[in-house]
Amino acid sequence: MSSKVSRRQFLSYTLMGVGGFMVSATVMPMVRFAVDPVLQPKGEGELVPTQQKADELTETPVRVDFTIKDRKDGWYKSDVSNTAWVYKEGDTVIALSPVCKHLGCTVNWEGDEKHKNEFFCPCHNGRYEKNGKNIPGSPPLGPLDEYVVEVVDGYVHLGKTVPNTLV
Amino acid sequence: MNWTGKDMDTYLQQKEYIDTLVVPLVKVETKMDNMKTSASSTEFVMHLASLIETQFKGRMMFAPPFSYTPATDHQQMAQSTLQEFSAATFKHVFFLTTDHIWTSMELPGQVIWMPSIPLENMDASLRQSILEDQLRQVLPKFTEQWAK
Repeated sequence: MSSKVSRRQFLSYTLMGVGGFMVSATVMPMVRFAVDPVLQPKGEGELVPTQQKADELTETPVRVDFTIKDRKDGWYKSDVSNTAWVYKEGDTVIALSPVCKHLGCTVNWEGDEKHKNEFFCPCHNGRYEKNGKNIPGSPPLGPLDEYVVEVVDGYVHLGKTVPNTLV
Repeated sequence: MNWTGKDMDTYLQQKEYIDTLVVPLVKVETKMDNMKTSASSTEFVMHLASLIETQFKGRMMFAPPFSYTPATDHQQMAQSTLQEFSAATFKHVFFLTTDHIWTSMELPGQVIWMPSIPLENMDASLRQSILEDQLRQVLPKFTEQWAK
């Protein structure tokens, strides 16, 4: 029936309260520090929206430019503009990277009149088939990379590049 | 390829493919009145250079820009500093500039003169399309030399 708090109890509660507060003040930052990598938003691998509507695509590759905003390279923030060659194969949308697998020039669709229906690299006459397969006898040693593609609300979204899966 | 350690490693391994050197020439004005145009045209040249670089990474090496002030003796610069590029191991040498004085100079390579376009007030997409137009204009000059 002693609803009164004794002096001893009062002191021990106060001490526990203050002590707990102090301990949490040191432990919480450590916990936050430990889980921080998990909470970081993933910069790469995110899909970037483009201006290209998916139903306007045909079987002929078109050039799609897109910009990755605020890419961080150390303390240096920049917008990176990127290009993809996008076309439709049946119902799937395919986006190929324009970076030549030889030495990194930019390839163009039908960039040379002599080679229709092919990607062409102007630097050393590298040639690729429509699916990105390098044509033997030309300098490139591998197929063009592919972008991760997703169609969101009718627009093409592009992610990071992955090795070609079509060849 | 840019004038960086990593790209230079690639160049040293792939010398037979990377046969073109591009040297941007930029004029740095020292008078207050001309500084703005000088800065603006330097910006244009460097943007254009980086666009050409991404397009032709595998065949061109880009030297760091060569800068000079109005008092520079162009004739002498052409005959000494720039003349040394004739000894470079590159088969084709191009000088990219917005300063028309170089078009009348004897240089060990082709001078590509472009009229400067102020890019500073354009939004990114307009700038990109303007630079791409300029790129389309210079392309034949490169391919012509390569075809020779």
